[in-house]
Amino acid sequence: MTAILVADDDMDIRDLVAFKLEQAGYDVVAVDNGLAALTSATENPPDLVVLDVMMPGMSGIDVCRQLRQEQGTKALPIILLTARAQEGDVEVGFGAGADDYIVKPFSPRELVSRVEAVLARMRT
Amino acid sequence: MTLAGTALVALFVVLFAALVLGALIVGGRTVRRAREAGRARLAGPARRLLLAIAAGDDDPRQIEELVRLPDEVWLAVEPSAVALLGKVRGEAHTTLVDVFERRGAAWRARSQLKRRDPVARAMAAEVLGNLRRRDAVLPLCDLLSDPDPDVRVVAARSLGRIGDAGATQPLLATLRSRRPVPAHVVATALTRLGTPAQGALTAALDDPRSPVRATAAEVLGLIGAAGATVRVESALRADPAVEVRVSAARTLGRLGTRTALAPLLDALGEDRPAVLRAEAARALGELGAVTAAPALTALLADADYAVAHNAARSLLRLGSAGRAALVAAEHRAHVRPRHSAEPDEGPGPEVLLGAAHAREALAAAELDDRRRQAVP
Repeated sequence: MTAILVADDDMDIRDLVAFKLEQAGYDVVAVDNGLAALTSATENPPDLVVLDVMMPGMSGIDVCRQLRQEQGTKALPIILLTARAQEGDVEVGFGAGADDYIVKPFSPRELVSRVEAVLARMRT
Repeated sequence: MTLAGTALVALFVVLFAALVLGALIVGGRTVRRAREAGRARLAGPARRLLLAIAAGDDDPRQIEELVRLPDEVWLAVEPSAVALLGKVRGEAHTTLVDVFERRGAAWRARSQLKRRDPVARAMAAEVLGNLRRRDAVLPLCDLLSDPDPDVRVVAARSLGRIGDAGATQPLLATLRSRRPVPAHVVATALTRLGTPAQGALTAALDDPRSPVRATAAEVLGLIGAAGATVRVESALRADPAVEVRVSAARTLGRLGTRTALAPLLDALGEDRPAVLRAEAARALGELGAVTAAPALTALLADADYAVAHNAARSLLRLGSAGRAALVAAEHRAHVRPRHSAEPDEGPGPEVLLGAAHAREALAAAELDDRRRQAVP
């Protein structure tokens, strides 16, 4: 089963994303901060990571950069999830190595489509 | 009573007070935890139902079940419902709105707007904003002058979510109020109103208060109001407040209209404030006009770090012509002046400064290129 790591400090969003992805047939591990996401992704690399940008301590952008530097995780597909919709933030996200960027408020169905699209792109 | 006796009594009194206080704190926490646990127990099954609806499930039975939840269960799950309402869009949002409406949440929220408890007022404003209730625009505008600053912020955000351009003037008015809303909150809310707000925002460029003019100038760029370019250009040229001129420069960069080239180049003049020159230098990069390359190249040796730094980054954004200018500026640091009398005389400090800024920009660009190549 395809494993997805979800990191978001907002419990409602974290549970919603996890719920929707599990409903779509993915095996989901959910954590509530950037450091836990980095540890989890490094120790048990998933097939894809969904990261909230604004998390206390270590932001999603920082986690993304770190994952891109580690040998075992540098090819991990990463989707950033954030409330910040400014063009500059999107540029920073892609500059950090993210594969896709979803802005809140988001459509849960679109989230699943984006996950499927990124996974399909990685397989080809 | 002896002195020792008095001290002993005082000690007992202090100890007793400390014990009572400790017991009150522990008791308070225990009661709060018990309440939270009770709410979580109540909310548990309903939360699963709520997540299914928020995830986009449109099973009528589940929707009906959520609509018919007993009030005490709904109250336990309502904070999560309000939070999710603001964070999902599409069909999931529509379905959630339907649930809220059928539970009478809009009516209840309207009745809570005048509650004494500021948390209740803020929560009600949040619900009305998330439900996009246009009939709540007027009461929410009233809340913009609420005595509680957090309530004012929530009201401003909710007006932005509702997206009714009628809120433009009241939102701008909060910037000159005795009870203001932070400018960035007002700017974000106005941006969500979109192009219908353009007329009122353009008119606000003539407001006597500079924070109002600066916010209006900023938002005109964020909503892409190209029709306001001429008015923003004149604000850049002639507004008496530097903060307004800086916002105007930023907006002209965002709007990307060719006519902005002349006023932006004019704003680079040495007699202008450094903060304005720095913003104009950045905006010229966003504008992407290659004809700005010579003016930006001349700024590489500017004594103000932000001006020179932004000029270098803007040259990068101009493409090959800008990069060539940076390479040439960097190269000049290694060239001995042709007519130098002294055989060991090197380039002057201005040339070295310009070369350093050029080198920094080129190095940053190379790092970006390498990072992009490294990403599989």
